[in-house]
Amino acid sequence: MIQRLAARYYSLLILLSLLVLFVLLVLHVAVGSVPISPATVVAALFNQPVETYQRIIVWDLRLPRALIALLAGAMFGLAGAILQIIMRNPLAEPEMTGATSGSVLFAVLWLAQGPGQLAQPGPILPFVALIGGLIGGALVYLFSWRGHNDPVRLVLTGVLISAVLRSAISIILLLRQEVIGTVLLWLIGSLNGLVWDQLNILWPWAVIALPLGLTCASLANVLQLGEASASSLGLNATWTRLSLFFVAALLTASAVAVVGGITFLGLLAPHLARRVVGADARRLFPFSMLVGSGILLAADTVTQAVTQPVTVPVGAALALLGVPFFLYLVWRRNP
Amino acid sequence: MKTLSIWHRRRIQLLLLVAGSMVLLIAISLLALLLGIPNLSLPALWAIVNGGGGPLARLVVTQLRLPRLVLGMLAGAMLALSGSLLQDSLRNPLAGPELLGVSAGATVVVAAITIFHLPVLLIAIPWLALAGGLVGSSVVILTMSRVGDSARLILTGAALAALLNACVIIFMSLGAQNDLSILFLFLVGSLANRTWVHVQLVLPWALVAIPLALLCARPLNILQLGDDVARGLGLHVLHVRLLILALSTALVAAVVAVCGPISFIALLAPHLARRVLRTNDARLILPCAALLGAVLLTGADLFAREAFAPQELPVGIWTTLVGGPILLLLLRQQAGKPRGMS
Repeated sequence: MIQRLAARYYSLLILLSLLVLFVLLVLHVAVGSVPISPATVVAALFNQPVETYQRIIVWDLRLPRALIALLAGAMFGLAGAILQIIMRNPLAEPEMTGATSGSVLFAVLWLAQGPGQLAQPGPILPFVALIGGLIGGALVYLFSWRGHNDPVRLVLTGVLISAVLRSAISIILLLRQEVIGTVLLWLIGSLNGLVWDQLNILWPWAVIALPLGLTCASLANVLQLGEASASSLGLNATWTRLSLFFVAALLTASAVAVVGGITFLGLLAPHLARRVVGADARRLFPFSMLVGSGILLAADTVTQAVTQPVTVPVGAALALLGVPFFLYLVWRRNP
Repeated sequence: MKTLSIWHRRRIQLLLLVAGSMVLLIAISLLALLLGIPNLSLPALWAIVNGGGGPLARLVVTQLRLPRLVLGMLAGAMLALSGSLLQDSLRNPLAGPELLGVSAGATVVVAAITIFHLPVLLIAIPWLALAGGLVGSSVVILTMSRVGDSARLILTGAALAALLNACVIIFMSLGAQNDLSILFLFLVGSLANRTWVHVQLVLPWALVAIPLALLCARPLNILQLGDDVARGLGLHVLHVRLLILALSTALVAAVVAVCGPISFIALLAPHLARRVLRTNDARLILPCAALLGAVLLTGADLFAREAFAPQELPVGIWTTLVGGPILLLLLRQQAGKPRGMS
C-alpha cells in the first residue's frame, strides 16, 4: 500500500523529505548550549538582520556541523544501500563488511604517525581511509566468499575481522597514549567540534561520490535479478559488483575520514527506505540518502539536546538505536 | 581388538597432551619468573625460593612476577572452562563469552565503576560484573528459544556486544581524561601490575567455580546429543542449560573484574583440546582445555611482556590479533561441513 503510493507520488515524496530535512536542519542549528529560536535561525540563514553573536553562532559554529551531518548521513545511507544489493544481504552495512573499520584503522595510523600532538585531518586523510576501507572490505569478501554467499556468515566474518582491526587500532593508541581521548570518541563517530575546515574536506568527495553512486542504480537493479540473468543481459556480474563495491568504499571512507566510524546508520537508512519505496534501486538509492541524512541530523540534535553540558558522541546514540533494529533483522525467521 | 587399539591410542594422546602442556607451563612459569628487569639466573631464583637472595630481586619475584603468573594461570583456566561450557551446552563451536556479549556485559559494569568512581568495595566488583554478564547470557537464552541457527545466535551476541560497547563509549565521553586512559588499558584486557590483592579477589571464585565446571562434564555430554535425546534421557534441558550458562558467566565475570576482557582464549583453548584429543567427550575436554587455557594465557602474557621490552603491550591485544585469524580459518573450514561440532 505504502509502496504503491510512494511509487505513484515519488517526486512528491522526495520533495516532502527535502522539506523535512530542512526543518531538521533548522532544529539542529537551533539546539545547543546557547538556544536560538528556530525563527531566528531561519532569519540568520536567509541573511535577515539578527544580532551579531547569533549570526556568528549560526554561520560559523552550527551550520557547518549540520551540513556535515547532512552529507555524511547521505553517504552512509547510500553506501549501505549499495552494499546490501551487491552482497545480496540484508545485514550488510559498511561496518559489517569491514569497510568502516579498515578506514578507521588507516586513518588512525595516519593521524598518529606524526610526532607530538595528533595530526590534523588534512585533505589527504580521505585517500588514506579509502585504501584502508578497500583492504578491509576485500578481506571480509575473500574470507566469506565460497562460491555462494551466506548472509549470516559474511557478517560473522565481518565482525571477526573488525575485532582484529580494532585491536590493531588499540596497539597504536597504547603506543601513543596522549591521543586516546581524541581518537576514542572518533572511533565511534562524533560530530563534536566540526567546523568549515572539515566540511571543506568532505564536500568535494560528496560531490563526486554521491552522483556516482546514484548513476549505478540501474546496474544495481540488474544485479538484483541474480547472477544468471545479469550475465544474460550482457552484464559482467563480477566486475559490476567490484566497481559498485569500490563506490561504496569511496562513500564510506570519505565520510569516516571526517566524522569517524559511525555504525548502524548504513544499516538503518536503506531498510527504512526500502519499507517506503520498495526494492527498485533507482528509487531506493536517492531516498536512502535522504533517510540517512535525516537520521543523522535528528540523532545529533537529540543527543545534543539531551546531554547538554557533556556532548555524547552521536555514534554511541546511533548504536543504541541501531542495535535493536539489527537484532530484529537477525531474529526474523527469513532474513 | 580394534576398539582396544583406539582406546590405547586415545590414552597415549591424552598422556602426551597433558605431559606436553605441563612441561610448557613449567617452562613458561620459569621464564616468567626469570625474565624482566632485573634478569635473574636459575640459581638466583633457587636462592629466593629458599628464602635468600637480594631484597630487590626477592621483592620483584614474590610481589610482582609470581602473583601475575598465578593470576594468568587462574584466568586462563577459568576462561577456557567457560568457553567449553558455552560451546558444549549451546552446541555451537563459535560460542564464547566475547562473542555472546557476556564479557561485554561484565565490562560495562566495571567501566561504570571506574568512570563514576562509584563507592564499591573491591570484593563486590566481581559480583556486580556477574550481574552485568548475566544480562548478556539472558539475551542468549532468549535468542536460543527464537532461532536454532548457531551463526545467528552469535550475531545476536555480537550485536549485543556492540550495544554494550556503545554504553561504555557514552560513559567514556562523560569521564575525565585520566580515567579514560585507565579504562582504556582495562578494556583491552591485561595482566600487568596485578598483585596478590587481585589474586585474592579471583581465588575464591576459581576455587568454587572450577570444580563445579568440571562436574558439568556428564550433563554436557548428554546435551551434545541434542535437546530431544537429552530430554529422552531424563535431563531437564532448560534448567541444566541455565545453570551451566550461569556458571560460565560467573567464571568470566571474575576474570573480567580483575583482568579486563581478555578475548579468544575461551574460544581457542577448547578447540585446541578437541583437535588434539579428537574427541568431544567433555570429561576429557574440560580439564585439558583448562590446562591449555592456562598455558595459552601465561604464554601470551610472557610474549606481551618480553616481545617489545621495556615497552609492554597488554596481553588482550595479542590474544585478539592471533585468535581472530585462527577463528576465521575455523569458520572457513566449518563452512563446508554440515552443522555440528567441529
